[in-house]
Amino acid sequence: MSLTTPSTVRPLPQVTWGRVRQSRRTADRIMKVTAAGFTFLAIFVLFWILGMLVVKGLGGLSAATFTQITPGPGSEGGGLANAIVGSMVLTFLGIAVATPIGVLAGTYLAEYGKGSKLADLIRFINDILLSAPSILIGLFVYVIMVEPLGGYSGWAGGVALGIIAIPVIVRTTEDMLRLVPGPLREAGSALGAPPSVVITSITWRAAKSGMVTGILLALARIAGETAPLIFTALNNNFWFSPNLLGGVSNLPVTIYQFASAPYENWQQLAWAGSLIITVSILVLSIIARRIVRGGK
Amino acid sequence: MLSTLELSPQTLDADAPVRIAVKNLDFYYGEHKALKNINLDFRDRHVTALIGPSGCGKSTLLRIFNRIYSLYPEQKATGEILLDGRNIISNNVDVNELRSRIGMVFQKPTPFPMSIYDNVAFGIRLYEKPPKSELDDRVEGALRRAALWDEVKDKLKSSGMGLSGGQQQRLCIARTIAQKPEVILFDEPTSALDPISTGKIEDLLEQLKADFTIVIVTHNMQQAARISQYTAFMYLGEVIEFDATNTIFMNPHKKQTQDYVTGRFG
Repeated sequence: MSLTTPSTVRPLPQVTWGRVRQSRRTADRIMKVTAAGFTFLAIFVLFWILGMLVVKGLGGLSAATFTQITPGPGSEGGGLANAIVGSMVLTFLGIAVATPIGVLAGTYLAEYGKGSKLADLIRFINDILLSAPSILIGLFVYVIMVEPLGGYSGWAGGVALGIIAIPVIVRTTEDMLRLVPGPLREAGSALGAPPSVVITSITWRAAKSGMVTGILLALARIAGETAPLIFTALNNNFWFSPNLLGGVSNLPVTIYQFASAPYENWQQLAWAGSLIITVSILVLSIIARRIVRGGK
Repeated sequence: MLSTLELSPQTLDADAPVRIAVKNLDFYYGEHKALKNINLDFRDRHVTALIGPSGCGKSTLLRIFNRIYSLYPEQKATGEILLDGRNIISNNVDVNELRSRIGMVFQKPTPFPMSIYDNVAFGIRLYEKPPKSELDDRVEGALRRAALWDEVKDKLKSSGMGLSGGQQQRLCIARTIAQKPEVILFDEPTSALDPISTGKIEDLLEQLKADFTIVIVTHNMQQAARISQYTAFMYLGEVIEFDATNTIFMNPHKKQTQDYVTGRFG
């Protein structure tokens, strides 16, 4: 900086000032370079993974991937059709289980439970559930459903995925409802609307886009879950029966089994499956973001 | 000294029946006593303004008339507010029915996230199931009375959130009068609006007093002088003086009132 100083100013403070500036500028530069460097590293790793996924995944992808069922060990050809459809069914089941519970629990926390001890406790437990290891939930459902009902089933898989989605939906629902301004609720009450009407036709509507986003994010979260399905829906290389009893083929567990097997055909399909899941989650996230932006 | 205030010649009917009578009213926010021994009479089809510095309790008082404070468990009122002889702060009052009879317009416009038509129809649909044609008529009538019809008649299906601030506030007024209440409470209805929108709402209040008993809280003394027939000056949770608006502004009996209306404090 070209600081022109009048000759009347004492020189000493001026020199110190310049030195302080210099050292601060150096510190700032080091900080900036370090932060930028690590950001680059993180993004580099991310793109490395994505790049490898796209290259290897596209290599394994063909029309047959979507039309033929998973091949047996060591056999050639085949696709992922049964696993893709199975995953869609299980994910849909999970969301169908989690949405009503999550939305209503979140509504309780935001609208009825203000300041109550019970609500604080539920919120605390929900936060723990939010970060619970998913394999634990798989084991839990194994104990409460698979064992007593005498076998693996798509229903158990859906419940396990639902349990993972519930805390996500509870949390986003509560957060979104809290963003609705208080005077809007008061305006509803001031017209003589009972609390249930205020909630269902005013507050929910005002928070709709945020709540839908929460559900979509939960969907994205469970679409790739593997651990809860290993003990519940299991997996196999056939079309599952329409009543969802017995094992239900699904993408995450298929990827897990195929990737660790010694057959090249299976490994290729594992890559293709990974790419399909990643792209689906990406699309879901983009839709969710769009909705958030559209709602503002 | 009050030459800057334009006092409109208010027609004041001293024999008008008392619509709301407040007797020995106290109000608490938890332990804090926010209103002390309020006694006021609100006359039928008149505009009564509540004025006073911030925190004097005027909004608190307004929020008791429709029991909106009951939404918050830590708030409590004792004493009596008689609406047509019935104490509305007693526990056995159906608050939702009460609120359908006493409308309220808030400081910030509060359009619901639904169409303009549904906003206005919301209050009607809560307690009545009129046939479609009658509902249409009432929505149109309310929007006309709120001086909004001409601006929205071609877009009744579009969202109420898309209107300007002043239009939103008139929408809220339309929503309130569509329900045909007897009393309308206004909580600083123009403080978030520009002067032109404010003028429109004041004109509206002028017309509404023919049919409704109106209580308005305002920070703006000129506004109180322009639109009300009675004014209560409040300070620190008490009513200092209550009289005809002309008296409060031209001829107050208490020194505190005079200091406030002449702008010496507040």
